[in-house]
Amino acid sequence: MTLKHNAYLFDATRCIDCRACMISCSVENNIEMDKTRIWVAGVGLQGEYPELQRSTMVYHCMHCLHPDCMSACPVGAYTKAEDGPVTYNPDLCIGCRYCMNACPFGVPHFDYDKGLVEGAFIDKCTFCPQRIYNGQKPACVGTCPTDALEYGERDELIAKAHERIAAHPDRYINHVYGEFENGGTSYLILSHVPFSELGLPELPEEPVNEVSEKVMEMTIPFALSWGAVLTAVTVGVAAYDKKKKAAKEKEAEVEK
Amino acid sequence: MKIKLRLPEFLRMGILPIVLIFLMAIAFVVAMVRYTIGIGAISDLSYSYPWGFWISFDLFTGVVISSGGFLMAGTVYILRIEEFKPLLRPSVLTAFLGYMMVAIALLVDLGQPLRIWYMIIHWNHTSVLLEIGICVMSYLTVLAIEFAPVVLESFPKLQKVAHLIHKYIMPFVILGVVLSTLHQSSLGSLLLIQPTKLHPLWWTPILPILFFVSAISVGLSMIILESSLSSRYFQRGLETHLLAKLAKALPIALGVYLVLKFGELAVAGDLGYLFTSGLMSILFWAEILIGIIFPMVWFSIKRNRTTPSGLLTGAVITLLGLIFNRFNVSWFGVTHPDPLFYMPSFMGNVKYFPTFPEVAVSIGIFSAGIMAFGLLAKYFPVFEDEHEHTVVGD
Repeated sequence: MTLKHNAYLFDATRCIDCRACMISCSVENNIEMDKTRIWVAGVGLQGEYPELQRSTMVYHCMHCLHPDCMSACPVGAYTKAEDGPVTYNPDLCIGCRYCMNACPFGVPHFDYDKGLVEGAFIDKCTFCPQRIYNGQKPACVGTCPTDALEYGERDELIAKAHERIAAHPDRYINHVYGEFENGGTSYLILSHVPFSELGLPELPEEPVNEVSEKVMEMTIPFALSWGAVLTAVTVGVAAYDKKKKAAKEKEAEVEK
Repeated sequence: MKIKLRLPEFLRMGILPIVLIFLMAIAFVVAMVRYTIGIGAISDLSYSYPWGFWISFDLFTGVVISSGGFLMAGTVYILRIEEFKPLLRPSVLTAFLGYMMVAIALLVDLGQPLRIWYMIIHWNHTSVLLEIGICVMSYLTVLAIEFAPVVLESFPKLQKVAHLIHKYIMPFVILGVVLSTLHQSSLGSLLLIQPTKLHPLWWTPILPILFFVSAISVGLSMIILESSLSSRYFQRGLETHLLAKLAKALPIALGVYLVLKFGELAVAGDLGYLFTSGLMSILFWAEILIGIIFPMVWFSIKRNRTTPSGLLTGAVITLLGLIFNRFNVSWFGVTHPDPLFYMPSFMGNVKYFPTFPEVAVSIGIFSAGIMAFGLLAKYFPVFEDEHEHTVVGD
């Protein structure tokens, strides 16, 4: 019963910074005018005329295989679906913004401009469930004019990415970002410039939540044993105290 | 005819309460603005810095300065070192008010303050913040139970209830110490999820242990500070000989902390950062020198331990240094790479500096805490003459 694990593949060599993905995302998901779930970043123009180069990257949620937002959220507002999407449930959110702290990519965005009445929530890419579960591609992928964004099964996309690198080793950096980073992500990136120039953080292969999850596993056993130790000490000290008092009283009686 | 322009007795107060009420009023107004038009309107919090001054000061500092409560409860009830009894009630009260301030501050900081109780029913067991939330809520209840007899005793009709609580206090004391150990350390675990954002001088897998060990020193200093201040304000005697014993324990507790801190850096191979990280190295050394080295030397000198001014000075400096550590871990040490040349402004905002309204909220809540401490200490037997017979723990 292995489900198809959906993912995105982004090819930086194909991105022309047209931002159609941003528009289609905002339209599809009814995002407010001054907000966005997708953004574009890069280091700007490089090189000297006439050999100018400009590379950009399209950002949205990486849909990690071991999401840090999900690990951090105290009330479990995040879920990782078996088929890929990391989704956020505003009905549970308490607005603590720990997910924003946890996410190494800076993906969850918070409504800093909303008061109590409107309600301040987190906003992030949802993987367009209304589209992908109806046989369509996510809005950003569907609208991309240069096929810089692709959608498909994760394993197939990884194979495709490596094929593309093998076919044009001079064009690409020999690495698929997201294959292993942060425990693997469902947003894979191919690039011709160093990934740091696209604003991607350098991450280890273990997800960043690894240590904190290990510590959390030790919490209950530690609490129980610490409680047991304290109870033992309490009983012991009380018994010792009683003995000492009795001895003192005896002494006093003898002195009399 | 002469008009009597004198305030009735109950309305007369000193300058301190007036100042405190004024500060609280400012905080209240700022909080109302925040509830109406959002957190962004009054703070510098951003996507890069979702946590700022409120978390560093109200949560991290507020919790750690409340650690005196479980230290004294453990010493007096569990270890039965009864000479420290005069310090028990003020410490428990400080802890109770400290946690109240944390809870109130979180109501300003949370995006959905009305849902704070969701933590009780929706559990995500991998979340450190959940553990802290549950611990703080339970411990606040435990502290209320521990302190309740002080209030109840003053009403003749309720003395029976007070005695009942005394009789069954032990399970609560043990629970309180366990809960304190858990959340004092998990405040450190809270930062474990940021290995890529927190500077390696502070990010270590043993952060929870470091937090717990330093919380002990903070608790001891805090007891010295509050005893000294309240003895001045209420013009009562100071338990110098008791405080001297606490001060004697401080260099030991701090020494353990120092060894752990540098030991971890050495084992992790991060000693190089001590001198090569520019501003971060300076912040780290400042924290070590003010919060650990100086107090260790200061309290090793007997004269400083036995005079009220020596005790007060040492305690204040220890507190400043160790609270500075909390700021380093939760704020100054958290860095983000420089923004790219081509990036939307909401992602490029990687600097944070608290705004005046942000700080005003914290100051106002802190003032409320001081005010509550003063009122409770004035009308209830928080400070007891150590020679008098006391009921607590009998």
